[in-house]
Amino acid sequence: MSQEPLRKPFSGLRVIDLAWVGVGPTASKYLADHGAEVIRVESATRPETLRRVGPFANGQDINNSGYYANFNSSKYGVSINLKHPKGPQILKRLIAVSDVVTESFTPGTMEKLGLSYKELQKVCPDLVMISMPLYGQTGPWSNYAGYGHVLQAAAGFNHLTGWPDEEPIGTGIAYTDFLVPHFAAFALIAALDYRRRTGKGQYIDFSQFEAAIHALGPTILDWTVNGHNQKRMGNRDSESAPHGCYQCKDGEFVVISCFTEEEWVKFRAAIGRPDWSDLERMRRKWSRLGEQDEIDRHLSYWCEERTSKQVFSIMKRFEVPCGIVKSPEEMQKDPQMRHRGHYWKLEHPTMGIRTYDGPAFRLSKTPGELTKASPLIGEDNERIFTQVLGFDEEEYNELLIDGVLE
Amino acid sequence: MVMNNPDIATNPLDGALAGYRVLDLSDEKGMLCARLLGEMGAEVIKVEPRMGDNARKRGPFYRDQQNSEHSLFWWAMNAGKYSITCELNSNDGKALLHRLVEQSDVLIETNVPGGLREKGLDYRTLSRINPSIIVASITNFGKTGPYRKLPADDIVASALGGHMYLNGDPKHGPVRTTVQQAWAQVNAQAAVGISIALYARGLNGGLGQQVDVSMQEAMSNAMDNAQQTWDILKINNYGPGIGRMREGQIGARYIYETSDGWVACLGYGGLVGVTADSIVDWFDESGEASVLNSPTWRKRLSMMDAFTEAEQNILEEIVAGFCRKRRKDDLVAEAQKRGAGWAPVYDPREIVESVQLNERDYWIRVYHDDLGESFFYPGPPFRLSETPWRQRGRAPFIGEHNDSVYLDLLGLSSEELRKLHRRMII
Repeated sequence: MSQEPLRKPFSGLRVIDLAWVGVGPTASKYLADHGAEVIRVESATRPETLRRVGPFANGQDINNSGYYANFNSSKYGVSINLKHPKGPQILKRLIAVSDVVTESFTPGTMEKLGLSYKELQKVCPDLVMISMPLYGQTGPWSNYAGYGHVLQAAAGFNHLTGWPDEEPIGTGIAYTDFLVPHFAAFALIAALDYRRRTGKGQYIDFSQFEAAIHALGPTILDWTVNGHNQKRMGNRDSESAPHGCYQCKDGEFVVISCFTEEEWVKFRAAIGRPDWSDLERMRRKWSRLGEQDEIDRHLSYWCEERTSKQVFSIMKRFEVPCGIVKSPEEMQKDPQMRHRGHYWKLEHPTMGIRTYDGPAFRLSKTPGELTKASPLIGEDNERIFTQVLGFDEEEYNELLIDGVLE
Repeated sequence: MVMNNPDIATNPLDGALAGYRVLDLSDEKGMLCARLLGEMGAEVIKVEPRMGDNARKRGPFYRDQQNSEHSLFWWAMNAGKYSITCELNSNDGKALLHRLVEQSDVLIETNVPGGLREKGLDYRTLSRINPSIIVASITNFGKTGPYRKLPADDIVASALGGHMYLNGDPKHGPVRTTVQQAWAQVNAQAAVGISIALYARGLNGGLGQQVDVSMQEAMSNAMDNAQQTWDILKINNYGPGIGRMREGQIGARYIYETSDGWVACLGYGGLVGVTADSIVDWFDESGEASVLNSPTWRKRLSMMDAFTEAEQNILEEIVAGFCRKRRKDDLVAEAQKRGAGWAPVYDPREIVESVQLNERDYWIRVYHDDLGESFFYPGPPFRLSETPWRQRGRAPFIGEHNDSVYLDLLGLSSEELRKLHRRMII
């Protein structure tokens, strides 16, 4: 069946991406991977944080960070020195021919540059703009500095991760950087859809803190409704037994969990219905939940005698929820991840062929596509400034010589 | 239906996604996603079996009363939706749903792949009924592939999604965050996929499509830079406890005890790099800078070079001693004044009492008419100037909106509705 090729969802949209580090670039990556022309505006005079953090491929250089690269697939790069008096003007001209602005500066910075939403609307009336600092545009913390590693602490993830009588260790990563961009992207795309239907742009005040709390909904209500302040409980769960993580003979860890009675019955069959599992106090979930120390003890022995692959395959056969805790290396080899084609290999001018994360979803007719590796700083200056903004060679050279494009 | 050109609405739409109707057939993997669509203005109809959705059995419960209308999990994930009952295993139930699909824009389902087709709710059937329908299938591992039928819940997706390998500490091994994050992740990422499909529909002549979302992949997107660290350096990062992981090594701790809890401060509390001098000054003002208040140390701290273990111990001991005597909010306020990005470790109660959130009028009071009580719910995850996010009331009771949906929307007669009721379809 032949049919007209479908347009990529965001084809024809130009996005000016002024955001830094994880959250903003991840949000705009969704637009880039689905057809928008996303232009990262940076400056070598003040390279963004992630360009200076590894892992580096082919030596430490602001163009060689794998950390930066992963968040910036399918994007273009221009450099504008916003400290130069002409910098903000040039940026404003670029925004005038664009559809979306994303930024995550300290609140007030865009105003100081003369680039507030109000000002930008004068040159781009239907502009959609999103600001994404840690704590939002207003309030006593609005100027607070930080990264996802500390925001996860304020947003409850440290308190809710780790072992009950030990430190609130947090998630081991800058967790909110990998949670809130999805909320920001959703808000941005919904605003774009509204613009498509009504012609109206708008401004989005996005607080990473405020979005992150939505990943803790029932726990927040447990406090506001019941006055019950929940706390981290290791690998336990208040509603599943067993529910834990166990080390196997090969040193790998597996997780096993039974939420329903049906899963418990299957689990018992999987481990050969040992006597302990048939004790009166193990028969009902409400009672089993109080026996988790004992269940964990038995299950630890059982797992120690088997490899992680054996445990996984037995549980699979009996349809018990179970998984191996996969390392980054194993994730790349994971048959399901490979089947899904989650990881993209893209060739970068200085880093070579590198691995990028794709979106967790596939659109059947207009799928996401990582079209290119991350940009070098200012990689697309010439094309953007001469073709998009229409500067002639002389004007362009003048900007270069003046240091506006550093 | 061609939606290329903007059709100017006569009334301002109540929400960026106003005018769309969403059928929510999902379990824990899709409920929050549907709720977010609703808070953006879409009309969300939760479709439940007659005895109520299984998620109504999830705790915690209002005053520990375990019944289907008192699950706080249900409240949090389904606030503001309509609820209808419909037995989708029966042909009549399916026929009813098909009629709803004719008038809807998005359907969200979370069945194990393969099961859907049997129910006549697969994309092919639904798209024949309504070519504009967007069918989002949110599953454990995606609709295809060797794991597609495997059972999984939050901890399994955390493990097989790689995130859990990075979470935890060397002493105990991997840990799962106690509040389900694989669910939170897949819900939020599915909302992105669905909104892209809605936008694409407008661009491509109203053509709907399928959105195939994997919880495993959603969790794998929460691996920080571990994937690139493996790809480039062939080093596996792992759970570092209170230290920070960097290229397979556990670096400086970032969590310190305070007189009233804990505080998070990157590196050695901002003692390294550009803020080093101002933090040493701060410690020195109360006579607690110890050896650090020397030209040699100050110079050493301003450089970003790695520390020896002995240096590391000195730094951590001084920061720990300083923090232990003070309150976390005071520490954070002063550190921030001096340019260092500290944050308090908050528990749910402290989050609710947060000055920042209260100054921004974050919390929304939601009235529960059946209980005669109001409770605070989390407020706007994003603040849109033209089409503000809006909380849309408490979660529905089982089948609370059967009348309005079946009578008013589908145009069934009261007699037809009674029949469906008698035959246990609704």
